[in-house]
Amino acid sequence: MSSLPIPPHAASAASADPQAPQAASLAEGRQRLRRLASVLGLLVLVLLPLISGGGYWTFTLGVCFANAIAIISVSFLVRYGGEVSIGHGVFVAAGAYTVAIVEKYLGLSLLASLPLAALVGGLLGMVFAFPSRHLSGIYLAVATMALALALPELLLHFSAVSGGYEGLYVKLDALPGMAKNLQRYYLPLVGLVVVALLLRQFRRSRQAMALLLIRTSAHAAESFGVRRSWARLSCMALSAAIAAIGGALLAFSSSTVSPNSFTLWTSIFLLVGSVVSLHSMSVAGSLVGGVFLTLMPLLLAGAGDWIPILYGTALLAVVLGVNALPAKLRARLEGGHA
Amino acid sequence: MSDLLGLVWAGIVSGSLYAMGAIGIVLIYKSSNVVNFAHGNLAGLAAFLVFGFTAGTFASIPWVAAVLVTLVIMVAAMALSYFLIAPLVFKSDLTSTIATLGVGLVVQGITQLMFGSNVVSLDLPLPKWRAQLGPLQITSYDLAVLGVTALAVGLLYLLIERTRIGIAFRAVSQNPFASRVCGLNLRGVHVFSWVVAGLLGVAASLLIVPTTFLSSTSVASFMLQAFAAAVVGGFSSLPGAVVGGIFIGVLMNLLSFYVSAEFNNTYVLVTILLVLNAFPKGVLSIRGGARV
Repeated sequence: MSSLPIPPHAASAASADPQAPQAASLAEGRQRLRRLASVLGLLVLVLLPLISGGGYWTFTLGVCFANAIAIISVSFLVRYGGEVSIGHGVFVAAGAYTVAIVEKYLGLSLLASLPLAALVGGLLGMVFAFPSRHLSGIYLAVATMALALALPELLLHFSAVSGGYEGLYVKLDALPGMAKNLQRYYLPLVGLVVVALLLRQFRRSRQAMALLLIRTSAHAAESFGVRRSWARLSCMALSAAIAAIGGALLAFSSSTVSPNSFTLWTSIFLLVGSVVSLHSMSVAGSLVGGVFLTLMPLLLAGAGDWIPILYGTALLAVVLGVNALPAKLRARLEGGHA
Repeated sequence: MSDLLGLVWAGIVSGSLYAMGAIGIVLIYKSSNVVNFAHGNLAGLAAFLVFGFTAGTFASIPWVAAVLVTLVIMVAAMALSYFLIAPLVFKSDLTSTIATLGVGLVVQGITQLMFGSNVVSLDLPLPKWRAQLGPLQITSYDLAVLGVTALAVGLLYLLIERTRIGIAFRAVSQNPFASRVCGLNLRGVHVFSWVVAGLLGVAASLLIVPTTFLSSTSVASFMLQAFAAAVVGGFSSLPGAVVGGIFIGVLMNLLSFYVSAEFNNTYVLVTILLVLNAFPKGVLSIRGGARV
């Protein structure tokens, strides 16, 4: 795994791009270096399956990319909404099942169902944020917890559609003419890069400014005409849509969906991944979380009971460790406020 | 009609257990502004400890002694959980709430590691007694639950209304800054509320176990009902938590009997969403302004 390029600081700092233009030449040099590093890193990721021949590691990395997108969605909610969700596994599941069901009933592949999955996820997110739109974030957290616990029940009950315990398979090729294992690697990778790039654009948009203003001062934002309830709804909808995209790609790259992979633990682990990646929304940063989530269970396959302990310890260590850092360094690691 | 009465009675019994869990969550939230998502895992570990001390995993001591030892361990565990996240508490509510999930994961892992993920049964040493009161079947278990809940709520009321630490707790939950200016020790009040919450959690989890089985996840999922009860009550009202607990207990019982028993968590979800829409400040509406 040493071939994975994870520039430690470039990862999270990338999300804080529009900083004041002080010390211009130094910053410019650093930025150029960072860009070079990320291009090199991407190049390595693109070439990797061609070198390694597309075996087991290619498959695992594909799942890593899909998980990284799901982790980005949790980070998005934390950064732009200042809220924590412990039910994001549900939106991931919404995306995954959309892909599987579209394939089952309409016979269409991932490319057709991906936009639909994002739409379904976004709508679902909006519906669940609606009742708590005026309230503090704890209500959203509790509601999402209930959502995560309710999902397996619903999936098992509607087994005619969802396939029950066994779940559904995703078999159709998305890109005809390419080897299956390469598709399962490249599509999630492309998805991750596109999501990260779109989020960088989003950071400069009006909507992002409004969301950040709400986080900084709700009163100031209200007086500028930004409604808090709207911010809450749009933030949740965007985050859930990203999660659904991650879920759709996850279903494609692991080629199966089942209720077992979307329990409350899935959602909590996504949050752990987001914390471990310092809520980063860049490719490299979120990959840290994705790799952590995907590889740890594989490495510790013989010691299943240690996994919650390990995840919990990692979460506490990162949260407490970041908190113990000097304020200046912490602000840089977290990439400013958003 | 007799069905209905029996269901309502059973709902009140289990609802008072949800209420005890909810009171713990609310106590912690009121004093330290942290939603303790580890609450269910900690309470579940306590039930397992009692099992371990009575059934021979660690020792085979009498039930009362085992409960006492467990209570001591739980006081330590709650204080330890608080001190783990203590550096975060005054800085960010969000981060400290996330950190409680880390505590919960660790506790869950410890439970699985020590006791495995098998289902065990843990009974209360209660006399086998039952009485028929009109259409109602009343068992010694029902009376034990109601008695313990009444005792716990009564003691808590006295503690909060009549003692110095109780007054300090009320002051801190009203205005932490002013209480600090007056020389109150905020950390002390926080630890107090965490420990009391933990003790209530132990009582609730021990009493809920005879109705379900004890597995490494069962008590944690019982806590979803406690969270729902807290939401129904408005999340920062102690009387609201009691009302919410009994409301959730009765409602869940009726729904699972008259509609279908396989959707328990879905009912809780729908109830939470409806209550948030209809009574955003809780059914008793004693909540202060929303925290921004």
